[in-house]
Parts: sequence; structure tokens; C-alpha cells
Amino acid sequence: MTTNRRQFIQMAAAGAAGLALPGWALGAPAVPTTGPSGRVVVVGGGMAGATVAKYLRLWGGTRLEVTLIDRSATYVSCVLSNLVLTDAVKMTRLQFTYAALAKNYGIQVVTGEVAAIDPVSKRVALTNGAAYPYDRMVLAPGVEFDTYLGLDSAAAKAKVVHAWKAGPETTTLRNQLVAMKAGGVFLMSIPPAPYRCPPGPYERACVVADYLKRKKPKSKLILLDANAGITAEKASFTRAFTVTHAGVIDYRPGVTINEIDATTLTVKTSAGDIKANVINPIPPHRAGALAAATGVVDVNGRWAGVDVLSYESTAMPGIHVIGDASATTQPKAGHIANQEARVCADAIVRLLSGLAPDPAPVTNSACYSPITANTASWLSVVFQYDAASRTMKAAGGGVMEAEVATKKNYEQMFKWYGNLMGDTFA
Amino acid sequence: MSRTARCGALCALLLLPFAAGAQSAPPPGRLLASNCFQCHGTNGNPTAGFERLAGMSAREVVGELKEMKAKPGEGGIMRVHALGYTDEQLQLIGAFFAQQKPAK
Ligand SMILES: Cc1cc2nc3c(=O)[nH]c(=O)nc-3n(C[C@H](O)[C@H](O)[C@H](O)COP(=O)(O)OP(=O)(O)OC[C@H]3O[C@@H](n4cnc5c(N)ncnc54)[C@H](O)[C@@H]3O)c2cc1C
Ligand code: HEC
Repeated sequence: MTTNRRQFIQMAAAGAAGLALPGWALGAPAVPTTGPSGRVVVVGGGMAGATVAKYLRLWGGTRLEVTLIDRSATYVSCVLSNLVLTDAVKMTRLQFTYAALAKNYGIQVVTGEVAAIDPVSKRVALTNGAAYPYDRMVLAPGVEFDTYLGLDSAAAKAKVVHAWKAGPETTTLRNQLVAMKAGGVFLMSIPPAPYRCPPGPYERACVVADYLKRKKPKSKLILLDANAGITAEKASFTRAFTVTHAGVIDYRPGVTINEIDATTLTVKTSAGDIKANVINPIPPHRAGALAAATGVVDVNGRWAGVDVLSYESTAMPGIHVIGDASATTQPKAGHIANQEARVCADAIVRLLSGLAPDPAPVTNSACYSPITANTASWLSVVFQYDAASRTMKAAGGGVMEAEVATKKNYEQMFKWYGNLMGDTFA
Repeated sequence: MSRTARCGALCALLLLPFAAGAQSAPPPGRLLASNCFQCHGTNGNPTAGFERLAGMSAREVVGELKEMKAKPGEGGIMRVHALGYTDEQLQLIGAFFAQQKPAK
């Protein structure tokens, strides 16, 4: 079949480059030569930023100059990164470059750290002194993490990792899990909502518990949740904790971490001290530091408020904020960040053409969650714009989840990942 | 040839504020249908599996989704997406994919 042949060609190409190269074996869609002129600078080339850059060109045309800036030349996907912990997925499968976006759509890709955004002169300044003027800009910096009391030293930071941004910490956590003794304790914690990928921590608990059963008999996974209960895929994870992984996962809702002692591997919690062999606390999140520095953080001191018709900041006109950094009724997740990016791209193209944004945007979220080494469940929801509340509201059947974790879902997860990353980075 | 050229300087002046981006609205259904791209690929051309929607007839797409809407237990994760749209929206989505070229 064509798909298989194409996958083979892609895999061969990816193997040669050492990186996953999603996408077009026989030509990407063409960028039209008509459309508004203008300059848009996108800061942050993650799930949201890469997608908005692509669709600004694909829908806006060649007269729209699009610059995409990220501090790293290689993006590491958080999606599927829990599977790196158990070696089910290799790190290289999570890595993507911006080469295809530059080549296919004529996006100007810049690798550099953005130091500041000046909304008055409308310029984005890098730490190396370069400056990029814009007519409109998109800020997609992802999240920043709080630090725990006790984890100030470099040694402590190296020993206790969250791995909630995929990269070197993912490999560190994988190595700690592999080195853990049988009969040990793996301790994880979940921050108060909103955090990125609502089902993600529960998924990690399941993936690690499944590994412990196979490789580290008699080990336990303690899962501390700052929330009052399971925040996503409640039926699936309740079943996973009480049936599939009963006796291994010890789920404790309503518990928060006050301090961590990295030397003795002791966690001081609202429910007493706990000792463990591996500590993996996921700290509370806030919008990427650049959002606060720019002045767009206006929700709970942590997030950037936006008008969901265009994702324009409620604090600063001309700056659009998409993805995890924004505060909306939608989850902080990669699949929906990709859709927010298209709503934003469509709105910017319309605004630069003298038109109003689409008055009735729709978005959707989806997440496949592995429960064991070969089964997965899923979560999905469609959001429609509600004009009365000016928010996105769950439509149709609301947030729905898989009835049971199946092998078929596990296989579909990789197709979904391939198409999602292909749409985002190629 | 173009209207601007024919009506001359005055028209050009009047049109000036819009000159940068004088443009018609984007194709109807495009933004709606883009909700299917994450799983079915850009413009409905997948690169890693699942149905190719590009080039399917509107009748086929709308028909399949309406069927999933009607039958609980049908369609797995797809049912969420069938249920999430009004019939009018499904029609627009179907019309969009019918106009996309399948990448062979
Ligand atoms: C373990 C795990 C599993 C997940 N699974 C799923 C899943 O199954 N489904 C799902 O939908 N989502 C999932 N997610 C969530 C998803 O990864 C995030 O929601 C998504 O990455 C958010 O996209 P973003 O573009 O907002 O941020 P990011 O993808 O984090 O991108 C932000 C980018 O901005 C850049 N940046 C920031 N500041 C600067 C600066 N000053 N200068 C230059 N560059 C800068 C960063 O380098 C980064 O590349 C998962 C997350 C985790 C941790
Ligand atoms: C979260 C992922 C996801 C999204 C989003 C999604 N689909 Fe699907 N779709 C699937 C899966 C999975 C299947 C089943 C494929 C299989 O089993 O091979 C499918 C199948 C289909 C089929 C074939 C049905 C059949 O029985 O032959 C059609 C048509 C379809 N989708 C249309 C759409 C349209 C239109 C949208 C957007 C409104 C959409 N899909 C959005 C995942 C998705």
C-alpha cells in the first residue's frame, strides 16, 4: 500500500538524518501568491508556534513574511515521551527540525533566545542583539515550572527531575527507573490544574507501573495528586488504578508537596513525610517566562488571557498568545494547540486583509493514553464558540473517553502521532 | 484589464486603504474542516495512516459521520467528532474535502 511505502521512505530519510522527518513524500501543498502583505513574527516553535507559522503561509500567501524563532534548532515532542521511560519509543522519534517548514512554506526560521518584545516599536529582540520588526506577533512559549523548596542546588536539580518538558530530563528519569532496585518506591506528584496534558501524569503512572511489574517485582508507585481527584479520563484511570495496576499504584488525592530533600530522597507532604527510591514531582506551571516579561500575563498571575476568536491578548493588542501559555476553557495540550494555531492563523490573515475573524470557531482535543505496554485508552472533545460567554464550550457528547483500553487504540496512537506531527512540522 | 486599471487614479486612491490586503474571505468550511487535519493530515492527506479525506465526496463524508452520530458504540474516537458538529457544519466540511486533491 502507498501508506506503507511512504512510511518506509520517511523512515529511511529519518534514519539518515537521525531525526523524525514527518510529512510529504510527493510535495507539500503550495503557498498561494495572493493574499495580504505584512510581517508576522512567531516566538516559540513548539506544537502551537510551528503550526501557526505553517498556516500563516499556507493560508496567507507569499506576501506574508513569516519568521519563526525558537531557542533550539530541534524540537523534542512531549507527546509520546512517557513511552521513552520504558524504552517503548526511542528519543529520536520525538525529535523534529524546522527544515521542512522552511523548505515547504518559505518560513524564515531563526534559532535564538528571545530576550524581549517591544510592543511599542513592534520588535522582537534576541539575546544576540538581532531584532525582528512585526505588524502582528504570535507568542507560543509553552510553560515554565515552579521550583520546590529544597531543590536549589545543581546537584539536587540533577537528581530530582520532572521530565514534563521532554528532553535531557526524560533520559535522566528513564535511567533512574532502569537503575531502581526491585521492591523500590517510585514517587510521582501531580500539580494543581491547569497543567499541561491533563491525563498525562496518570498515563505516566500507568506506563511506569506496567514496567515495574515486568522488570522490578514488588515495587510500588506512589502517586500524589494536588487535585481532589482524577482530573481526566476518570473511568479509564480509576479502572487502571483499582484493577489493571491494583497493588502497584497507590493513588493519594488531595496531597501537596511542601519540600523535597534530594540527599535522603524524602518528600515532605501535606500528609507527612515519604521516602522513595526515585522522586518525580511535576511542579505547578505558569506561562513561559517571556509572556510575563512582555506583560501579557493577566490571569491568576500565571497565564495570558486571550480573545478566543483570534487569540489576541486581552492585555496587549497586536500580540496573539496560543498553546499552553494562554488561559482558555480548553486543555493545555498539543493536539488542541495545533488547532488553536489554525484559528489564530486564519484570524491574523483576515485581520491583515481588513476582515473580521471567523465569528464561530471550532477546536478539538484528543489524547491517546497508554495504560499497559500494549493497550491504550483515549480522550477527545470538540469545542464550539459560545457567543454569550465568549468562551469555547464542549459540544456534542462533551468530553468522551474510551470504554476500555485496547490494543487497537495503542496502534491508532502511533498513526495519530504521525499525522499530528506531520501536520505540525512538515 | 483589472477594474483598478480601468477606473484610473481616483479609484486607485479610494482603494488604497485596502490595497495591502484587498481580499475575499477564505473558502467556507476550511477552518472548520481543519479540525480533521490532526488525525487525517493537512487538507485530508494523511502521512501516517487513517482515511484519506481529500477527494472524498461530500455525500460520503457527511453520510459516514451522520451514521456514527446515530449509532452509539460506533466509530470509536471518530464518534466524538461526528457528534461535535451540527449537520450544517458537516456539510461545509464535506464540501471542503471534496475540493481537495488527493496526494497520491
Ligand atoms: C509527558 C507528556 C505527554 C503529553 N501527551 C500529550 C498528548 O498525548 N496529547 C496532547 O495533545 N498533548 C500532550 N502533551 C502536552 C503537549 O506536549 C503540550 O501541551 C504542547 O507541547 C504545548 O504546545 P506549546 O506550543 O504551547 O508549547 P511547547 O510545545 O512547549 O513549545 C514552546 C516552544 O517555545 C520555545 N521558547 C520558549 N521561550 C522561548 C524564548 N524566550 N526564546 C525562544 N524560544 C522560546 C521553546 O523552546 C519551545 O520549543 C503531553 C505533555 C507531556 C509533558
Ligand atoms: C482524534 C483523531 C480524529 C479526528 C480529529 C478525526 N478523525 Fe476521522 N477517523 C479517526 C479514526 C481513528 C478513524 C478510523 C480509522 C480506522 O479505523 O482505520 C477515522 C475514520 C474516519 C472516516 C471513515 C469512516 C469509515 O467508517 O470508513 C471518515 C469519513 C472520517 N474519519 C472523517 C473525519 C472528519 C470529517 C473529521 C473532522 C470533522 C475527522 N474525521 C476527525 C480519527 C479522527
